[in-house]
Order: sequence, then structure tokens, then C-alpha cells
Amino acid sequence: MARYAMVLDTRICIGCHSCTVACKINNDLPVDMIYNPVTTIGPTGVYPNLHMTHIPLLCMHCDNPPCVDACPTGASQQREDGIVWVEDEKCVGCKACVMACPYGARHPNLEVGIVQKCNFCMDLVDAGEEPHCVKTCHQRARIFGDLDDPNSEISLLLNSERSVRLLPELGTEPYVFYIMD
Amino acid sequence: MINGVNLNQDGVEIKKSVCYFCHNNCGLLAYVKDGQVLKVEGDDSYPVNQGALCSRGNINHLFLNHPNRLNHPLKRVGARGAGEWEQISWEQALDEIAAKLSELKDEFGAETLATAGGTLRTDDWARRRFMNLFGSPNGFHNAHLCWIPTFMVETAIYGWCPFEIDMGNSRCIVLWGQNPGASSMPEMRHLSDAKKNGLKIIVIDPRFTETAAKADLWLPLRPGSDSALALAWLNVIIWEGLYDQQFIENCCVGFDELAQHVREYTPEWAAPLTWLDPELIRAGARMYATHKPGNIQWGTAVDQIGKPGGATMHARALLRALTGNLDAPGSDLLTGPAQDFITDEEMEANEWLPDEQKAKQLGSDKYKLTTWEGYGRIAEITRSVWGKAPTAEWMCEAHPPTVFNAIITGQPYPVKALITLATNPINSYGQTSQVIEALRKVDFHVSMEYWMTPTAALADYVLPAASTLERPTITSTYGCSDFLLASQRVVQPLHERRTDYAFWRELALRMGQEEMWPWENLEEANYYRIYPLQYDVNSYDEFVERYRFHFPEREYYKYGRLGFATPSGRVELVSNTLAELGYPAMPTYVPPAENEVDDPELAQEYPLVLTSRGGIMPYHHSEHFQIKEIRFLSHEPHAQINPETASKLGIQEGDWMWIETKRGRIRQKAEVTQAVHPKVIATERGWWYPERKAIEPDLAGCMESNGNVLTSTAEEHCDPMGGSWANRGLLCKVYKTNGKDGM
Amino acid sequence: MKHKETTWGWMLAVDFFFAGMGGAMIALAGISYLFFGDALTATIGNFIGPIFVAMGAGFLVLELGRPLQAWRVFMNPKAILTFGAWNMTLAIGFGFVFASFRIASLPWAGWVWAQQITAVSSIITGLIVATYPGVLLGRHNARPFWTGPGIVSLFLLSSLLTGLAAHDLANSLFANTTNFSKLLAGLLVLQVVLWGLYIYMKCTGTTNREATIAQQWVNGDFAVGFWAILLGLGSLVPLIIYLLPSNPIMTLAGILVLLGGAWMRWMVVKSGEYRTWLPGEEFYLSRLPRGDEEFLKALK
Ligand SMILES: Nc1nc2c(c(=O)[nH]1)N[C@H]1C(S)=C(S)[C@@H](COP(=O)(O)OP(=O)(O)OC[C@H]3O[C@@H](n4cnc5c(=O)[nH]c(N)nc54)[C@H](O)[C@@H]3O)O[C@H]1N2
Ligand SMILES: Nc1nc2c(c(=O)[nH]1)N[C@H]1C(S)=C(S)[C@@H](COP(=O)(O)OP(=O)(O)OC[C@H]3O[C@@H](n4cnc5c(=O)[nH]c(N)nc54)[C@H](O)[C@@H]3O)O[C@H]1N2
Ligand code: SF4
Ligand code: SF4
Ligand code: SF4
Ligand code: SF4
Ligand code: SF4
Ligand SMILES: [Mo]
Repeated sequence: MARYAMVLDTRICIGCHSCTVACKINNDLPVDMIYNPVTTIGPTGVYPNLHMTHIPLLCMHCDNPPCVDACPTGASQQREDGIVWVEDEKCVGCKACVMACPYGARHPNLEVGIVQKCNFCMDLVDAGEEPHCVKTCHQRARIFGDLDDPNSEISLLLNSERSVRLLPELGTEPYVFYIMD
Repeated sequence: MINGVNLNQDGVEIKKSVCYFCHNNCGLLAYVKDGQVLKVEGDDSYPVNQGALCSRGNINHLFLNHPNRLNHPLKRVGARGAGEWEQISWEQALDEIAAKLSELKDEFGAETLATAGGTLRTDDWARRRFMNLFGSPNGFHNAHLCWIPTFMVETAIYGWCPFEIDMGNSRCIVLWGQNPGASSMPEMRHLSDAKKNGLKIIVIDPRFTETAAKADLWLPLRPGSDSALALAWLNVIIWEGLYDQQFIENCCVGFDELAQHVREYTPEWAAPLTWLDPELIRAGARMYATHKPGNIQWGTAVDQIGKPGGATMHARALLRALTGNLDAPGSDLLTGPAQDFITDEEMEANEWLPDEQKAKQLGSDKYKLTTWEGYGRIAEITRSVWGKAPTAEWMCEAHPPTVFNAIITGQPYPVKALITLATNPINSYGQTSQVIEALRKVDFHVSMEYWMTPTAALADYVLPAASTLERPTITSTYGCSDFLLASQRVVQPLHERRTDYAFWRELALRMGQEEMWPWENLEEANYYRIYPLQYDVNSYDEFVERYRFHFPEREYYKYGRLGFATPSGRVELVSNTLAELGYPAMPTYVPPAENEVDDPELAQEYPLVLTSRGGIMPYHHSEHFQIKEIRFLSHEPHAQINPETASKLGIQEGDWMWIETKRGRIRQKAEVTQAVHPKVIATERGWWYPERKAIEPDLAGCMESNGNVLTSTAEEHCDPMGGSWANRGLLCKVYKTNGKDGM
Repeated sequence: MKHKETTWGWMLAVDFFFAGMGGAMIALAGISYLFFGDALTATIGNFIGPIFVAMGAGFLVLELGRPLQAWRVFMNPKAILTFGAWNMTLAIGFGFVFASFRIASLPWAGWVWAQQITAVSSIITGLIVATYPGVLLGRHNARPFWTGPGIVSLFLLSSLLTGLAAHDLANSLFANTTNFSKLLAGLLVLQVVLWGLYIYMKCTGTTNREATIAQQWVNGDFAVGFWAILLGLGSLVPLIIYLLPSNPIMTLAGILVLLGGAWMRWMVVKSGEYRTWLPGEEFYLSRLPRGDEEFLKALK
């Protein structure tokens, strides 16, 4: 079985928001639904000794996803390969998952009355391709792959570089990892 | 299935196209069915982007079908700028335009027609071909702000512009006023890769940019003071003995003279002019000179500082020569022009423009390097060595502000007709008030566009242009690279759109140029151009489908075989060509166009230093503001201001503020940030508001937040060599808007 | 255009209010029957309890993106919301059945054993409904204002308070008695104390983010609502009224208590918008369009 994950290499991310647009366009999202914002921290420090980092965000595909636990309809699900997704037909738009998610990764789509989220582009992944945001990134700052495969690019990278996860204290066990400089 | 679109269904074709929303021209694949583009994605096998696309690249199919696109030829019926149009046929439009141009030519001479372009958006050799055959030397672009002067200065000194970077083998790169982190994602990718292998990155930029954040060394100089920095680097490299003795002995002339000439230009001398610590200046020079091979990457900044531009490019060019970083593995490569396919220049029919018409080129009396006199001389030398000349369209052009002046004043002769095609001068040329005045005044104005821009709004005829997916494209760096990348047409132009090539050709046919336009469409012309490559293909399309690229074998140290394309056959540290044209043979210090040292009085009123930049994500110059899927990322204009200055002025993050120079004022929102020096204001530049009506006097808010309202095209601010005007390093003041005028 | 990751809307606060109040009313009716004889609550009050819960459920349904699919919320036994939905349904049922024992004309009016069983069931399900919103919110680790067990007691307390006040109102309006003034006064004192403690603990709390949002209650966006409406109008004013020896505006006190309870829920729900911000997120959001921008309307 696979266990999918993503690494965001903030050492090379330039905050260009290309991933944001690629996701939106290819997933046909309304303008105001953003699965993967990219935030900027800084420049911090005082001119001219400065530092700046960009943090690309998306659903963390938590191993212990509070959003799934919170969902009263069973629309929110976690696949065996770790991908957390919403089955549109079952969703009633109660937003319990929105409130449960610590990462702002769930978005009510008012046009259809349901909540939607990043699903690691599971259709593409199932077809053996990379998620849109990964493919579009000129910097290759987003690395997607299978952590159960010890020889995958992502496994090798996580083994060789120090990485952190966001809000680890909440116990959600994110499968999105950040390499910071 | 992807997003409800089944890309594997019957009848879906994959076409190999390219994104044209910036000069990187990333390769893309378009999925088409029944003339409908279902989806675009990056082409994995395309060397530039390897499958990636930036935000703009992703919206190519939305762009194609956007409801605001121009789809039919329009003829003005009301007053100019009133927004009253009648839809007419192409035939009528072309007939009437041709008739009007013939009439004006008869009365005022062919030079009365000028044409304005942007930079590298379309097949501009066709524009040039038309103009040459028509007899007017007054084609121009705002290429003066974008590489062209650099190209010519460098070619004057060592016979070609070494724009090709051998980054895989490089150990150090200087990004001089370039911010690829926002302007050139594919290049940034290569930088990041190389950095992992130890590449040193030096960024020379007044702003702490996306790129500076990843650099080994950041030199935040006063905007416009680059000439002092470049001279000081020359001084350090020569007087600390960091130069490449062997290269200088074997390949250069004039070293001793140059050494004496730059003796006074010490880092201590440069420090107060550049606001940099002398040790930081030294550190930069040493890093570049001692990490060989190394590169100095071109960035637009120096092309846009106006007056000191030429001298700075000159000094910067010499840095490469002194360190031997020319055409060696890992350094900046002097590829020369393409030897094996037909270049843009060869398509331009420059030989058809009579000498007496060349002499009438506006601005050629002052800005010789980028007009017929300088270009002619340099082209002659490159031809003798490389066999070919640089593209004349771009390298040899009328001087835009001089043309606009001629329209306004009728001096030195009347310019009555203007074709703006693939440009929005109101937002992208300098000193907007002058541009607008010229556009309001010119007798006859035709604009070929994708959108009803502020510029098109002031036209008599507006023609709908076909965009990238609707036409085939050859990418070859302004026609100056030795390689080419080819892309095919994805769909025939939608509605009544036509390619720019079709426009020039149809106009040409009506002006009696039939024999000179044998290629009925771009595919035919492109096939003609690649035919000498001798691939086993029967059409351009087949070439794209089967080969797509042509990269000649790389040859280092070509100068060993050919010499340098200069009068002496060597790298001229003391330049004969420049001297011949009446310019200093060695670079001297030229202060920023406006500065506190030479004009303290001005600095009293305008105490801050203004700069701007082109590379702003997600926009491309004045484009894409009408595309919601792009606009939401940054829906309002922002100017950077240091917290110290902001607090003195009572300005907070997100406040609207006025930014004012002697030329006018604009408002942008404050981005309060440490990224700039307390005395620097960095504006975004291309802004207009397509959500408003493009009618007089507002013209879609084109004066409200447009950085070019502030810039200067005054003769005293222009670079005497290349003619570029001053966008960066000007004096300004900033104040908070009050409730009413700030909205 | 706001980035679409907002919170539950006002209807959820109204749901919490009615359901909490109704749940408490159902439980209180059962309690008063089992322990104090039937006289403490009015028949109307007993009926209003389940009606309120049903109204709460109605608002919950309206808050859904797809109200017609509401039945689906019963489908995931592991989700607390599903548990809540089942429990609410039961509470409504028991509440009605229990109330119906007061209607003498009904055949089962005299079945005491049945009434006792329903009373117990009403107490259990009613109390769960009354407590449940607090439990639901308290489990949200990502919403610092809610996190923790504290919110449970606040919601339970408020439910009891509003439920009691509602019974009291029903009594005074329909049975001309007021039995709960002292109890209400006591609970109001408790409410003031507990809220004071809660905000104090959040402010000095374990994490920065809890302090940040609690600070909004002390002297930020929610300060007026907290001090003036929740503590002032919603607690102290009715407290004083209830403590007056005899007074003609007892009804007003009850209404104020209800008002305070509803308002409290609105502020608490709203405070959930303060998620634990990820690095740089707040600035990012501040730069996004609000939604009323011209370009969003004018451009296709
Ligand atoms: N202040 C300041 N000014 C600057 C700069 C700066 O940094 N600061 N940067 C300068 C630089 S580097 C450049 S390159 C210039 C750019 O200047 P321009 O090239 O004039 O750029 P745009 O303003 O984007 O205008 C291009 C217009 O052409 C249209 N267009 C695009 N492609 C085609 C095509 O193929 N055919 C036709 N018919 N129309 C087309 C677009 O819709 C758009 O309206 O601006 C320069 N101006
Ligand atoms: N997103 C985006 N990408 C683009 C474009 C775009 O419009 N948008 N335009 C394309 C085009 S046509 C071009 S030419 C390139 C241009 O791209 P670049 O060559 O990167 O040029 P700019 O971004 O205009 O400016 C580069 C840097 O120059 C700095 N600068 C300002 N004043 C000075 C100065 O006086 N001296 C020095 N040394 N630096 C200074 C600015 O702070 C800025 O960070 O980008 C291309 N790519
Ligand atoms: S596309 Fe890549 S580099 Fe750009 S913001 Fe996204 S992750 Fe960062
Ligand atoms: S990030 Fe949020 S939506 Fe994604 S799995 Fe974790 S809790 Fe669920
Ligand atoms: S909104 Fe949809 S996915 Fe989210 S919890 Fe409710 S039913 Fe489940
Ligand atoms: S993985 Fe797919 S859905 Fe998730 S952020 Fe990336 S593009 Fe969007
Ligand atoms: S960098 Fe972006 S805009 Fe430029 S060509 Fe590539 S995809 Fe297009
Ligand atoms: Mo440019």
C-alpha cells in the first residue's frame, strides 16, 4: 500500500502563487476558493539584514484527521493511502469538518452547498500522474510521492533533510512536511 | 478524466504550443477537440520549463476564450476616446487603413508613419519588413528599456552579446538588477539547482527580492547608482590583481589604459554614491572574480536607469572581459547569430530601406548606438566575422520619446500616423502624460490588440489579434540566439481575430508589396526559415511535431577560431566603435538621472528615491489585470516603503498613498516593509483598471496608479548612447491620501 | 470575496441557543416531576422545551449547504454531530411524550410508570442536548477560544439558565407563578464568575493563540458584547431584578437572561473564526479581495 505525502521545500519556494492558480484552474474552483495559499513571512529583521520565507499551504492529509472524525455523514473519508477526501454526494455542507480542521484546508462551496478540499488530485495520482500544483511549480519546491516506498524521491528527501510539520502539537499527524532553511 | 473533461475521449488532439505571457516562452501542450481547447499543461519535454507553468501559463485557455477579448475589427464613430465603435469587416478596415497611409505618405513622406511595439510579443520581423518596404525608419518598441542598449554596448566591445549562460558549469552568478524569482521562473529554477551544487549568487538590487532572499550576497544600492558600483568593481578587480592575466594578454586591448582610468574609482569613492559599505562592494567584486567561471546575468534595471545606463552597461561588460568570463565553459557564451537557419534580421528586408530614409530615423542624431549609424557600423563588423547581423527590429529603432514629441510638436517633421501593435504605451512607455498627449493628437492611429486597452481606446481602428494558441511561434531570443524552439498553432484564430503577420501582409499587399510577401501564412514563413536546417520534414507543423527544437552543437572559445567581432578583432577595453560614434571609449561615472548630490534643491522637495520593476507576479507589464483568476492574487497596486519612513509620514500598511515626482502623481497602497531602504520607494508599474470603462478622460484609470506617470523621458535624463529613459533612480515624495482623493 | 474558510453562521448560534434552552427545559421538566412534584413547571413550558429543540434542529438544517439532504447527518456513528442529531431527535420525542402526560384526555395520562420512564429519559437526553454544544465546541483543538472542557460547563450552565428562565417565563405568563427566582439568581452569579474565570484563564492560558482571541473579549472586537451585553444586560441586570423582594418586571429579567444566552452563543460561535493562524496566513488573507470589489463584479 502506498502512503502519499508532500514535501514543501521552502528553501527554494519563491512565493509565485503558480501552484495556487494551477489548482484553482484545473480543479475548476470559484475564484474565492483557495486550496493552497502561499504565505510570506517577512522580510524579517532590519534593513539590510533580512530574511524572507514563503510557506505553501494545503490540506495536510493528516494521518489522524479531525475533519473525518467530525463528519456526520461519512462524506469525509480517508483512503488507505492516506488521502483525505470528500465524497460530494454525501456531503450536506454542515461545515463540521471546516471547524474541525486546524489548517484552514476546507472550503464551503456556496454554489453547490458542499464543502470541498484538496484531495491530492487523487484522480491524477490514481492515473500515475503528479498533482497539478506539483507539476506546475517551476521551482520543484513541491515534492509529492509515496512514503511507503523507501526509494521514492520524497522518502529519500525526508531521510536526508530535516523537516517540520505544522501545528504538530495538535496530534493530527500531518503528511505534509516542510523543509526550512 | 480530469476535472470532468475526459482527455482520452475520441477526437482529442494534443498540440505543441507555447506560453507567450513572458519571454520565457514555456512549452505547453494543448488538448483540443473540435476547435475547442479543453486544457493546457506544461510540456514535460520542453527544455525551458520541463512541464512547469507559472500562474499566467495556467490560464492560457481562459485567455483564449475570455469574454472581454477583442473579436472583430472596430472603427471609431464618435470622438476619439469616446468608446463609440462600429464593427466593420477586415477588408474594409484594411482598405481604409491602406488608403489613409498612402495618402499621408504622399503628402508627408513615408517617415510620417511610425509604429510602436512592446517587447517580443509577436512576429516583429514582419512589422520591420513592412516598414522598410513602405520606406519609414520610424518603427520602435520600448525595447530601449529592455536589453537592447545592453546588447549593443556589449556587441560594440566584444562582438556579440553574451546572453547565453552556461549555468550548469558556473560557480558564481551576478544578478545585476534582475529578479528572476518573480520575473523568470524557469531561470530561477536553474539557479536553485545550481545553488545546491555550490553556485554563489550575488544580487544587486535596492529591494530585498524573492531572489535576494536566496542569495549569498545582497548589495542594496541606491537606485540608479549602478555606474559607481560597476566602476568600483573594475577598480577592485584590477587593483587587487583579480583579473585573468592570460585572457587579457591574449584577447584584449587597452588594459593599461583602463587600469589607469579606473584608478580613482575606489570602493570608498563609490560608497557614498551607492549607499553601500566599501567592504560590501569589495566582497562582491572578489566573489565574482574569484569564483570562476562565473556569469553576469542581464536584468532590465540598468536599461531603465536612463542617463547613466550606457556607461553602466559598458563598465559591467568590461567586468566579464577582465575576468575572462567570455565564451569559456561555465561563463557567458558568445554564441553569435544562428548560422544554420534564417534569422529575423534576414527576414526584415533592411536593404530595401533607402539610405536617405535611414537618415531620417527620429532620434538617430542623438542616440547613435541603437539607431542606423551605430547599428549600421556594428552590423557591418558582425557580418564580417559572424556572417550575420543582429536583428534590426529592436537594435536599430526610432527613439520613442522623440517620436511622441514629433507627433506633438511637428518637429523635426510631422508624424501623422501611428500603428500601435502588441503594446500599451500608456502604461508601459515613460512619462505617460507625454504618451497620452501624442496619442490624443496623432492624426491617424491604428491599434492591434487582444483587449480594449487605454491605448487602443484612443485609436481610430482597433483590430483583433490572434494570441499564442492561435498562431505558430518561433522562439529565438529577439532573433539573436543560435538555437530555436518551435511551436505550432493549436486552433485557427477564433472569431475574426487574425495574426499580426496576417495584418502586415494584408496591408503590404494593398501597398503594392506583393512580390515581397510570398508566404501566405506564418507556417509557410516559418517553414522557409527552418528549411536550411535540412530536417526530413515537409512542413513547419511536422517539424514541431517531430523535432520541435534545434540546438546547434555548443562550441566554446569560438574567438580562437574567429576572433572577436570588433574593429581590432579583440575585446576592446578601450572601445574603438564607441569612440567612433563619439562616446567615451572607457566608462566614466554618470550619476543617477535625478539625485540629491547634483540637485539638492530638487531633493528638498522630493526627498525619496523612486524605483520600479517589471517582474511582478502575477502580472506581465500592463497585462492580465482583467483576468479574475490572476487578479485576485494581488488585486490592488502596492508600493514598498520602509517602516521608518512610513511612520514619519503617518502611513500604515494598506493605506493609499500618493507618490509624486516632478512629472505627476499616482496612488498605490503602502506595503510597509524592511525590503527597501528608508529613502527608497518601489512602485509596481503597469496598473490600469480594466473593470472601468476605457473612455476619456479616465481611460480605465490608466493614470491613477500607473508607475510611468512618474518616470522621465526628458532628453537630459536619457542615456546618450542607447536612448533609454529613466524609470529608476528618480526623486519623489510620498504622502498619505486624504479621505476624498484616496477613496 | 473572502477566502471561503469561514465559520458557522448565525443560524448555528441560534440552533445552539434554542436546542440548549429546549434541552434544559426538557430535563428540568423531568427533574421537577421526579423530585419536586409536578407543580414547578407549567404544561406550556413542558411543551415548549421540545418545540425549542425542534426549532434548534430546524436552524441547524437551514445552516446546511444542502438542507434537503439533512437526513445524511445521522449516518456516521463515530461523529459527535451524528450522536448529537440522534440525541436531539430522541430528546424531542421524549419531551413531547413527557409533556403529553399532562393532557388528561389522553389515554396514557395516568400511566405513572410510563411517565417516570419518560421523565428519566427526558432528563438524560435533555441534559445531553443542553451540554452537547459545549462538548462539540470544546473538542475543536484548532479553535483556541473553544478548546478545552471549560466551554462545556459554560454551555451547560447557560442552557440551564436559559431553560430555567424560559420555564419561569412560561410559569409567570401561563401559570402566574415564579418558582425559580432564587435559583436563577444563583446561576447568574455562577455565570458571571465562570465567564470571568474562563476569560482570565484563556488570557493567561497555555498558548499564545488562546490569549490572542480571549484578549478580543477583554478589550477588542468582542469587548462591548462581553462586558455590556453578556455580563451587564444578560447577567447583572436580571440578577438584580431577581433579587428584588417583589417585583413587577420579573418577565423582563427572564427575557434578558434569554437575550444574554443567545448573545453569548453568537459571540462564542463567531470567536471560532479565530483559527490558529498558520505562519503568514493572516497577512495573506488581509490582501485578498473582500468580495465587493469592482473588478469581481465587472469582469467576467
Ligand atoms: N516604469 C516601468 N516601465 C516599464 C518597465 C519597468 O520595469 N518599469 N519595464 C519595461 C519592459 S522590460 C518592457 S518589456 C515593457 C513592456 O511594454 P509593453 O510590451 O508595451 O507591455 P504591455 O504594457 O504589457 O503591453 C503589451 C500589449 O500588447 C498586447 N499584446 C500582447 N501580445 C500581443 C500580440 O502578440 N499581438 C498583439 N497585437 N498584441 C499583443 C497586450 O494585450 C498588451 O496590451 O515595459 C517597459 N516599461
Ligand atoms: N511576472 C513578470 N515576469 C516578467 C515580466 C513581467 O512583467 N511580470 N516581464 C518580462 C520582461 S519583458 C522582462 S524585461 C523581465 C524583467 O525582469 P528583471 O530583469 O528581473 O527586471 P525587473 O523585475 O524589472 O527589475 C529587476 C530588479 O531591479 C531592481 N531595481 C530597481 N531599480 C534598480 C536600480 O537602480 N539598480 C539595480 N541594480 N536594480 C534596480 C528592482 O528592485 C527589481 O527587483 O521580466 C520578464 N518577466
Ligand atoms: S509554485 Fe512552487 S515556488 Fe511557486 S509558490 Fe508554489 S510552491 Fe512556491
Ligand atoms: S488538514 Fe484539515 S482537511 Fe486536511 S486532513 Fe487534516 S484536518 Fe482534514
Ligand atoms: S460539510 Fe460535508 S464533509 Fe464536512 S462534515 Fe459536513 S457533511 Fe462532512
Ligand atoms: S494536490 Fe491538487 S487539489 Fe491539492 S492543492 Fe495541489 S493541485 Fe490542489
Ligand atoms: S514563466 Fe509563466 S508567463 Fe512566462 S512563459 Fe512560462 S508560463 Fe508563461
Ligand atoms: Mo522587458
